[in-house]
Amino acid sequence: MSHTTTRTSPRTKRPSSSSRFDSALGWSPGFGTNMVLRIVLCVLVFCIFALPFAAIISGAFDRNSSPTEITLLPKTFTLANFEAASQQGLWGYLLNSLVIAGGGLLLQMTVSVFAAYSLSRKKFRGQAILLLLVLLTMMLPEEVIAIPLSLVLGDLPLLGISLRGSVLAVILPVGIWGFSIFIMSEFMKEIPAEIEEAARLDGVGEFRMLFTIILPLCKPALGVIGIFGFMMVWDQYLLPLIAANDPSDYTLTVALSVLRNDTTVGPGVLLAGAVMAMIPSLLVYLFLQRSMIRGITAGATKG
Amino acid sequence: MDSKFKSYSRATLAMAVASAAMLTGCSAGSSTPAATDDGQPIEVWARAGTDAATTYAAMFKEFTAKTGVEVNFQGVPDLDQQLQTRAASKKLPDIVINDSAALGNYTAQGYLVEVDKSTVEGNDKIADSLWDEAKGLDGATYGVPFSRQTMVTMIRKDWREKLGLPVPETQEDLEKLATAFATQDPDGNGQADTYGMTVPGSTERGYLGWWASSYLWQNGGAYLKDEGEGKFAANASSTEAQEGVTWIKKQFCTPGNTQPGALTAATSVASPFFQTGKTGIILTGPYNFSSFDTSLGKDVYEVIEAPKGSVDNTVLAEGENIYVTASNGKPEQTKQVIDYLVSADGQKAGMTAGKQPIVRVPVNGDVDAAAVYNDPRWAVVQDALQDSSKAFPSAINFVPIKQVAAEALNKIVSDCGADNVESGLQALDTAINDELTSQNAKS
Amino acid sequence: MTSAATKPAVTPVQAKRSSPPPRRRKGNRAHLLAVWVFLLPAAVLALYFKFIPMVEGIRLSLFKVQPFLGDVFVGFDNYVSVLTDARFMDALGHTVILGVTQTMGALVVGFVLALLLEGQAKSLWFLRTAIFLPVVTALAVVGEIWRILYFPTADGPLNTILSWVGLGPLQFLNGTDTALWSIAVVGIWSGAPYNMVIILAGLAGIDRALYESAGVDGATVWQRLRYITLPALRPAIVIVLTLAAIRSLRSFTEVYVLTGGGPAGSTEVWMTRMYSLGFQRNDIGVASAAAVLLLVVTLLLTVGTQLVARRKAER
Repeated sequence: MSHTTTRTSPRTKRPSSSSRFDSALGWSPGFGTNMVLRIVLCVLVFCIFALPFAAIISGAFDRNSSPTEITLLPKTFTLANFEAASQQGLWGYLLNSLVIAGGGLLLQMTVSVFAAYSLSRKKFRGQAILLLLVLLTMMLPEEVIAIPLSLVLGDLPLLGISLRGSVLAVILPVGIWGFSIFIMSEFMKEIPAEIEEAARLDGVGEFRMLFTIILPLCKPALGVIGIFGFMMVWDQYLLPLIAANDPSDYTLTVALSVLRNDTTVGPGVLLAGAVMAMIPSLLVYLFLQRSMIRGITAGATKG
Repeated sequence: MDSKFKSYSRATLAMAVASAAMLTGCSAGSSTPAATDDGQPIEVWARAGTDAATTYAAMFKEFTAKTGVEVNFQGVPDLDQQLQTRAASKKLPDIVINDSAALGNYTAQGYLVEVDKSTVEGNDKIADSLWDEAKGLDGATYGVPFSRQTMVTMIRKDWREKLGLPVPETQEDLEKLATAFATQDPDGNGQADTYGMTVPGSTERGYLGWWASSYLWQNGGAYLKDEGEGKFAANASSTEAQEGVTWIKKQFCTPGNTQPGALTAATSVASPFFQTGKTGIILTGPYNFSSFDTSLGKDVYEVIEAPKGSVDNTVLAEGENIYVTASNGKPEQTKQVIDYLVSADGQKAGMTAGKQPIVRVPVNGDVDAAAVYNDPRWAVVQDALQDSSKAFPSAINFVPIKQVAAEALNKIVSDCGADNVESGLQALDTAINDELTSQNAKS
Repeated sequence: MTSAATKPAVTPVQAKRSSPPPRRRKGNRAHLLAVWVFLLPAAVLALYFKFIPMVEGIRLSLFKVQPFLGDVFVGFDNYVSVLTDARFMDALGHTVILGVTQTMGALVVGFVLALLLEGQAKSLWFLRTAIFLPVVTALAVVGEIWRILYFPTADGPLNTILSWVGLGPLQFLNGTDTALWSIAVVGIWSGAPYNMVIILAGLAGIDRALYESAGVDGATVWQRLRYITLPALRPAIVIVLTLAAIRSLRSFTEVYVLTGGGPAGSTEVWMTRMYSLGFQRNDIGVASAAAVLLLVVTLLLTVGTQLVARRKAER
């Protein structure tokens, strides 16, 4: 099997964890021109990627955010935009978004883990086609299937149930995401077959095998599909729109795009909504950053 | 073992295909089911943001109090997308209130049923010209007029007076004013950060075609020629139209006459320039009064009828109609809703029941906008509507024509160095004629 | 299994190689049952919400769609009108330029970011989070910010910066020559942090002992990158490329909020054209045909990428 990378051996040899062998570029820990260069670059990168957000925050608290210049601090501080946002019902949409993102993510992760277990730990004919079909689900532009999908949602074939207007109409369709299955099965492939066989000799059944042997070994991968899956569900636009029975079913993402086209509302409210929409994703990212970074590791170190 | 697995996965595939085919079979039926009354409250949809939806809700509350008829009202912001999906499952709402220009699109799709004008109570209070706008290609009436409005020109009065310039009466005046706003520092902050006109010059949703139409008409041009009997022909490259487009192009190509970035600005991007005092001129609808009053102040800007072009001062008129859909199975309630919406009471409620009016200028001749709003600016709108306004033809689907017009104009004004007005408009003629042909409306 | 490492085992040969050893015969039935029990949820959801709609979408692409009047079968007419539309071909060109630029740019910038920000220090954790902001922001708002940054007058924010180094002023989104590149920059800006995360993860997994022995052998930083880091990152890079290619072919929202396809059609891409040709005029048949074509192109590209990646890996 593959030489699963272990970092323990060099670690034990080294007393300090910050050595110049710790990063690909060999950033040295001490002060010096190297360090200064790195700090300068970091500041530059911070300005390019993060500073524009000062403008969003400033605009969200400004009465009249300017369409011509970036302001890092609001000229006239006000909470009016957030008041207007709550008048527009954005808190309700935020709640819808949270319910859908929570339920959708849970379903998506469960489904992906199950499917990946089968696709990576089992061997059967037709596996290759199934993997291709998994990738295919990622490639369908939603716009293509919007109309047919709305038919399915309004009248599930064979079952004759209408999901429209219920959160399930969004949660069920996002439950299947090729990306998660793809990443998850890549990780699971990495686990040596010996571990599984040893457990099987002890008479461990399939579900216990998955939950007590395999999953703990790829906890990091769960972090990966957690953050990217959350963002995928959070950013859904067309699906909540066609699944809605009336506008009170909209998610925050849909509501923001509606606000953008309503000239009577003004840009400040849009920015206030954007701030509201950013926070949950950012929290999830913060929360999962550690496991995610260890997570992709396992998937990416093969070969 | 292998063959067993193979047959298994084959069976799955076969199942997938079969069930897909089944769904396909079901939805391929072509006959429209006869609309029946399902006993639910009558469902009314309107294109509305949150504020407008509040007004609608208040208005229907009054209606229910009066008649005892329950209404299930939905203000839908992305109305056409939603109608498309509802149409696919053949369950449209009973009544739709939307742009008068949507009529051609809806009739072409078979969404609507005819309206018998004579059964509408108070149909004589609505001008014949408005009823004519509600006719389809076959000459039958497919909608009931509900609200109308025109574009008006709004100008920063304080800037204009500071620079000592008169209220513009011609397009030349307007152009001079725009240049003055851009070059003479009307806000007195010592910086060259003000501009003339606010223009949504983007092709998104055909905005440029929409904005430009008024200036085109003012010089005697037009996108289309009505050949009668539901037939049209492109007319965008006439010398009059070229004159209008040349003027428009000049505004884009004189730095500062339009706001920077106008070529790619949708209305949501453009209007903040006026709202925050970066530009001094805007041609837009009266629905912006309330947001401009809040951000700029009522006294700071003036509302005038459009300055004259070489022919007249025609501006674009728009409005909303009430449409009865093909899945409507409630003739009784439908009549009551329509009768109320066009009655003097209903029209007044639509103007005043909420923060944002959903009836802008009433279609009912008994109701006077300026009096109800107690605001002389509405008299400007009302007068312009009566004397010098024009609507896009509503019998055809005008959306694609507006789109090709926006694309062609955007191309013409993007290239200031080129002498491309005539060739660009000839290309537009071709595009419009192709579109008309595909709609079976080409003469 | 070293060489079978890379992504989806597309061929049965590879699947065979990388899977656990075959099971004994008496476990067949249970094994088969387990396979399908675990696949069932995904299969049902995919069938209902992906494949049935897709088949229906393909069917619609052969019809003039008008539910209330009865759909009319038109054969391949819709495909013909898509493929003969001159603007569609322009849009295809723009889509390819935008896709390639964004994909490669975001990969390179993401790689540089990852190299710069690799490490365990607290300040680096903070920086990495801050830099992730573009990814979590709604595209509509990203568009608003960049419209201001790109403000086309000489005193616009970016033009001011350009003037410090003696360049500009540029028209950015407003110029027919610059608009597409300006959109690509926005795409790179919001895509690079996404890639950074994946590449960082790859970096973290590289055996430190390799760096140490390279140090002992006196290798330069460049040699270390070339012979240790890059080869080890290949799987991560394949993930990034595959995802980015799929995403950038479908670019819609960023184009729509930044330019709406203008000026003079210079930023019109496949999806915006599909939108105005199909949805705006209510022609679902044409829109479906355009979408099916896009699907085919994406499929070919993805399979192509996978094949190339696999061949490289095997070498």
